[in-house]
Amino acid sequence: MTLALSINGRIRHVQAGLSDTLLTVLRDQLLLTAAKRGCNQGVCGACTVLIDGRPQRACLSLAANCEGAAITTLEGLQRDAGMARLQKAFTATGAVQCGFCTPGVLVSAHALLSHNADPRTDEIRAGLSGNLCRCSGYRKIAEAVAEAAKEAKP
Amino acid sequence: MRIEGSFVVAAPRERVFAEITNPALMAGCIPGCEAIEVIDPKTYRARILIEVGPIKARFNLVVEVKEEAPPERVVSVTRGEEGTRASVISSNNELVLVPAEGGGTEVKYVSEVSVTGRLGKFGLGMMKKKAEALGAKFAENFRGKIEAAAAS
Amino acid sequence: MSVPGYHRPKSVEDAARLLAETDGARCLSGGATLVAMMNASLAEPKAIVSLAGIPELAGIAELANGGFRIGAMTRHAATAADARLAGTLAVLRDAARQIANPVVRNMGTIGGSIGFADPAADYPPALVAANAEVEIVNAAGRRRVAARDFFVDWYTTACGPGEFVTGVHLPPPRPGAGLYRKLARVSGDFAIASVALSAARDAAGVSVRIAVGGCGPRPIRADAADALLSAKFGDAAAAAAAGEALAAAADPVDDVRASAEYRRLVIPRLVAETVAHARAALEAR
Repeated sequence: MTLALSINGRIRHVQAGLSDTLLTVLRDQLLLTAAKRGCNQGVCGACTVLIDGRPQRACLSLAANCEGAAITTLEGLQRDAGMARLQKAFTATGAVQCGFCTPGVLVSAHALLSHNADPRTDEIRAGLSGNLCRCSGYRKIAEAVAEAAKEAKP
Repeated sequence: MRIEGSFVVAAPRERVFAEITNPALMAGCIPGCEAIEVIDPKTYRARILIEVGPIKARFNLVVEVKEEAPPERVVSVTRGEEGTRASVISSNNELVLVPAEGGGTEVKYVSEVSVTGRLGKFGLGMMKKKAEALGAKFAENFRGKIEAAAAS
Repeated sequence: MSVPGYHRPKSVEDAARLLAETDGARCLSGGATLVAMMNASLAEPKAIVSLAGIPELAGIAELANGGFRIGAMTRHAATAADARLAGTLAVLRDAARQIANPVVRNMGTIGGSIGFADPAADYPPALVAANAEVEIVNAAGRRRVAARDFFVDWYTTACGPGEFVTGVHLPPPRPGAGLYRKLARVSGDFAIASVALSAARDAAGVSVRIAVGGCGPRPIRADAADALLSAKFGDAAAAAAAGEALAAAADPVDDVRASAEYRRLVIPRLVAETVAHARAALEAR
């Protein structure tokens, strides 16, 4: 059954059953595979996307319930200057190891810096507390976000 | 998890033993029991619906009697599943009847239960509370049936 | 274009009717619980009644008596950010800001959360401490239930079949303090044990309502604890006795987060700590 979803600024037509989540539709039908299926319970954060500008879990969003909402995935932020600074900082700082958590972390970090352009370290950690990383121990991630914030200052 | 309890019935041990090993009577006492079938003298099949908050689980169980020592003791093993093996349950059960004051019988039960699968993940601590509540309800139902029959 | 079985009514009455008439229907608020359960095959609704399109369920409105009505679809992030929930009502803000993490707080709602009534969730003891009332609807109309009577058993509320939460009513805020303290394994986890405290202060003295979460089928409260803390607020012996009364009233489980024994040990300590913080907050005014 067809749904019309607004994804990264375009209307995309997808097939969805009642229990299909946005995550399933993004990855399996639209091949937008930045959002990852980690726990499928909303805990790990690997599926984090923006819905109406706010970071939310694609795995906890029923596709059918997303009609009318503006969905932005990491793919849709590739031309965003703030995201470019984050990606550069993550690479330079060594905040990416296996990369599985990274898309979700980047979306959360982007949302954090959109609301708080100059966060303290504790604010960065609180802002990213919905994203689990099994590799890095989080220190480099927090440094990278701080670095990206610094780069944004005129 | 270990589920244990006891209750006193105002009836002699022999009577209690006969009734507690009577599948037709037990079907009416076990909360949520939808059906009991006798496969052979030592084997029963049962279907039990258990509700915990928003979750309804229909268990398909097979109970095998391993030891029976009337009028004192029954040892049995239960195996089963719910949701087409979404959860798997197994338990070792012991039932002991002890004479109580005034000619009654104290029924003691102990079960070592293991639940794996989707219900096992849900929260075993709370399931234990639910199992204990079901045990108490069973006791109430059983006592009610036996004592009402004795009075009539 | 839509999906069979998915409904998005525009009014509470339509939603109530759909729930009553549709076999196997569940209502969907934020999805933080229901969709997680669907993903884990613990829930298999045949129909979904989304509450997202119902205007009267959205937002926090001030009432004529100075109290507030929090619409059932209000996200935890919005509740946590609302500065009008001050004084004795701050306990609700404090609880909301500690639910899960910022991303889940953008999704989860107060109606969905209390409707599920997870005994280790953060709102239930806070609502009891705040003396809130829960507004429920069914096909026949609306009714209100005091928070302390709304949470009935493990994952069981006063909502009957086909009923759902439409809002939470809070009394007017009084000058004082409202705190929620949670002991958890990691940030954002459900509570091993938690304490919600609301202390109103006026010329006559301090009036305290305290409730413990995560330690039984419902929020744990005790008249004796409220009375002890109100009579001698800030007194360590009174706090200890109140803690013991609450621990005695608790009915905790052994689970993956902690043992029942640990929870009973921890309750008086968490109570003492919360009372000390509340006292400091009152003295700072």
